[in-house]
Amino acid sequence: MAKLSLKNILSKDIDSINMVTSLAQQLNATIYIEDNNGKILFSNGPPSSAFQFPVLFENETMGWVKGSEKGDAIAKILSHLLSKESERKNLGSEVLNLYQEINLIFNFSDKLAQTIGAKAISEITLDEASHVINSESGVVVLWDEDKKCLEVEASTDSQFFEKQTINKELHLLLGIILSGQSEIVSDFASLQKAGILLPGIQSVIYSALKVKRRIMGAIILGSNEPDKYTANSLKLLTTLALQSSSAIESSLLYEKSIREAEEREAAMRKVFDATEKFVPYQFLKSLGHEVITDVKLGDQAEKVVTVLFTDIRDYTSLSEKMTPEETFGFICLFNARMGPIVRKHQGFINQYLGDSIMAIFPVNAAHALEAAIEIQREIQAFNKLQEQKNKPRIQIGVGLHTGSLIMGITGDRDRMDACTISDTVNTASRVESLTKHYKASILLSEESLKQIEHPEVFHLRNLGLVQLKGKLSSINVYECFSSNTDEELQQKIETLSIFNEGVACYLNQSFENANHAFKKVLQINENDPTARFFYLHTKQIVDSGVDEKKSGVVEMEEK
Amino acid sequence: MEQKLLIVDDEAHIRMLLEQTLEDLEDEGVNFFSAQNGEEAFEIIKAEKPQLVFLDVMMPKMNGMEVCRKVKKELQLNDVFIVLLTAKGQELDRQKGQEVGADLYMTKPFDPEVILEKAKEILGL
Repeated sequence: MAKLSLKNILSKDIDSINMVTSLAQQLNATIYIEDNNGKILFSNGPPSSAFQFPVLFENETMGWVKGSEKGDAIAKILSHLLSKESERKNLGSEVLNLYQEINLIFNFSDKLAQTIGAKAISEITLDEASHVINSESGVVVLWDEDKKCLEVEASTDSQFFEKQTINKELHLLLGIILSGQSEIVSDFASLQKAGILLPGIQSVIYSALKVKRRIMGAIILGSNEPDKYTANSLKLLTTLALQSSSAIESSLLYEKSIREAEEREAAMRKVFDATEKFVPYQFLKSLGHEVITDVKLGDQAEKVVTVLFTDIRDYTSLSEKMTPEETFGFICLFNARMGPIVRKHQGFINQYLGDSIMAIFPVNAAHALEAAIEIQREIQAFNKLQEQKNKPRIQIGVGLHTGSLIMGITGDRDRMDACTISDTVNTASRVESLTKHYKASILLSEESLKQIEHPEVFHLRNLGLVQLKGKLSSINVYECFSSNTDEELQQKIETLSIFNEGVACYLNQSFENANHAFKKVLQINENDPTARFFYLHTKQIVDSGVDEKKSGVVEMEEK
Repeated sequence: MEQKLLIVDDEAHIRMLLEQTLEDLEDEGVNFFSAQNGEEAFEIIKAEKPQLVFLDVMMPKMNGMEVCRKVKKELQLNDVFIVLLTAKGQELDRQKGQEVGADLYMTKPFDPEVILEKAKEILGL
C-alpha cells in the first residue's frame, strides 16, 4: 500500500486545502505546513518557526505545522485527516480486492462462454484457479459414468498429483469427490501414501464440480507451502467451480445432442441405403426426386429408355434337378453377378422376375448392348466354374428394345410400389424370347440399334422382320455376336455377306435362294445355330410348297 | 516537472477503486486529484492541467463527453491525455468519444492491472 503523506491529502482533496485555509484565517494564524523533508506544502504568510507542532499519525511524525501558536489545532486536524485517509485507503484496498474478484469472475465467465468441450473448459478452469489461488499444481477430474472411472481432464505441468494412480486408488479420491463439498484438506496423508499426491505437497484445497445435486468431478489444487489456503481461497475456488460445472454440464449436453443427431442421421442413411436397393436411385431421379420420402402416389415420368431382359434357358428342366433351396441359391448367385454389370453401364435393375431380370438403361441403348455383351461373357466365366464343380452349364438369352416408358408410383396410400408401364417392356421381353428360336445369345430391335451412335464397334447381323405373337406390326431384329468365342466370331464375320444375302432373300420371299445361302453358311460354319434355324425354316417352307403365300416375315407362334 | 493525475466519477466507490488501483503512481510522485462531477473536473483541469485524466462519461452537471470536448476543443489542451470510461455494452459511444477528442476509451468493469499499466505507459513511468 502506498504510504500516507501530508502532501497527498493536501493536494488530492481540494476540501482539505480549503478547510486549512479557512481555519487559519478564522484563527488569525500565520502558518506554514512542512513535510518530513522540510518541503513547504502550504503557507499563508511569511515563514516563521516560532512555534511548531508535529502532525502525528499512529505516533509517527508525518510533518509539521509551524508559525503561529494556534498551529496546534491545525496539526491535530491534519492528524485526523491522515487517520481518515488511512481508513479510506484500507477500505479502498478491500473494495479493490473485491472488485478484482468480480472482474476475475466476469472474465472467467467470458472465457467459458467462448469454450466448448468438457476438456477445454476443465483446462481453462484449472488455469484460472491455479493462477488466482496461486498454486503450483492442480488437476480437474471428471467422473465418466460409462467407464465408471475418473478421467483427468486437465492438469498443471508441475505435478503433485500422480495421474496414473488416480484410478488405481479410486476409492480414496472418490471419498473426497463424492462428498460434493469444497474444503481445505488438512489430512491428506492417506492420499500421499497411496501415491496420488506426491511428496513435497504441503497444502491441498478442492472444490466439487456439481450441478444441482449431481456430482461431476472436482478441481483439486496443491501447493508446496504449508497453510497456503485461506477461507478466501476456498470462496474463490468454489465460485470458479460453480461456473465451470454449469459450463461443463451444458457442454456435455451439447456433445450428447450432437452425437444423437449423428446417430439419427446414420440410421436414416441406413434406411435410405436399404430403400435404394429396392427402388433404385436412378428410378427416383427419373421422377425428379432425391430421396424416397419425397415420393408420392401418382408420381410419374415418361422417358425413352432401353429395356433389357435376360432369361435363363431351360430353367424349368434346370430347376427340376435342384431342390428349391438350391434353385434359390442359384438364382441369388446369378443375380448377384448381373446387378453390378448393369449398374456399371449406367443402368438399373427394375425387377427380378424369377430367373429373369428386367433392367432399364435411361441414357443410351449402347450402354444396354455393352451390358448385354458383358453379361454373356460373365455367363461364360460362370460356366467354367460350374464345369469345375461338375455342375450344369447355363445359357441365357438377352433381348433389348428401345422405346418410351412411363415410370411411376402406383398402389394405395399404405402400399406403394415403383412400376413401369409400357409396351416397350413387353416388346423387349418378346425380343428376349426370340433368342430361343434364333438360337442367338443377344438380340436387339432396330429401335435400339438406331440409338447407337457407333454400331460399327459391335458385331451385328440383321435377322430380318419378325411378327411377334399378338402384335400387329413386325419388328426388325438384329443379332449381336460380340460375346461369341473368338472362333465363332471369326466364322460369323467370314460368312456375314452370305448370311446377309440369305436374310435379304428371305425378306424378298425368295425362300429357295435363302435356303441355298444359309446352306452355304453352314458349309463353312456348321456351328452357326441361327443360320441352321433359317436353313431348316426355309427348307420347310420350300418343301411344303407354301412359299407362294408366305410373306418374308418370320411369324412367331409362341410368346 | 510534477506529474498530475485526475480521477473523475460521480460514484464514490469507483473513485476509490481507481485511486486504489493507481496508488503505486502516488509512490512514484504523481499528484492525485479527484472530482465528482463534470464541472468540478473542468475547473481542476483548467487550473492544474493534469497529464492524465480518467473521465467517467455518465455524470450529472456536464457529462464526460462535454468535459472532454471543452478541454480539447475550447481550451485546446492537447497535452491532457483523456481516458473516457464507460460501462460495458455502450460501445456505440466510442465514435462520439473520438469526435470530442478523447485519447483513449476504456470500459467498466475495468481490469485493474490493465488500467495501472496503461496509466504508467501514458505518464512514461
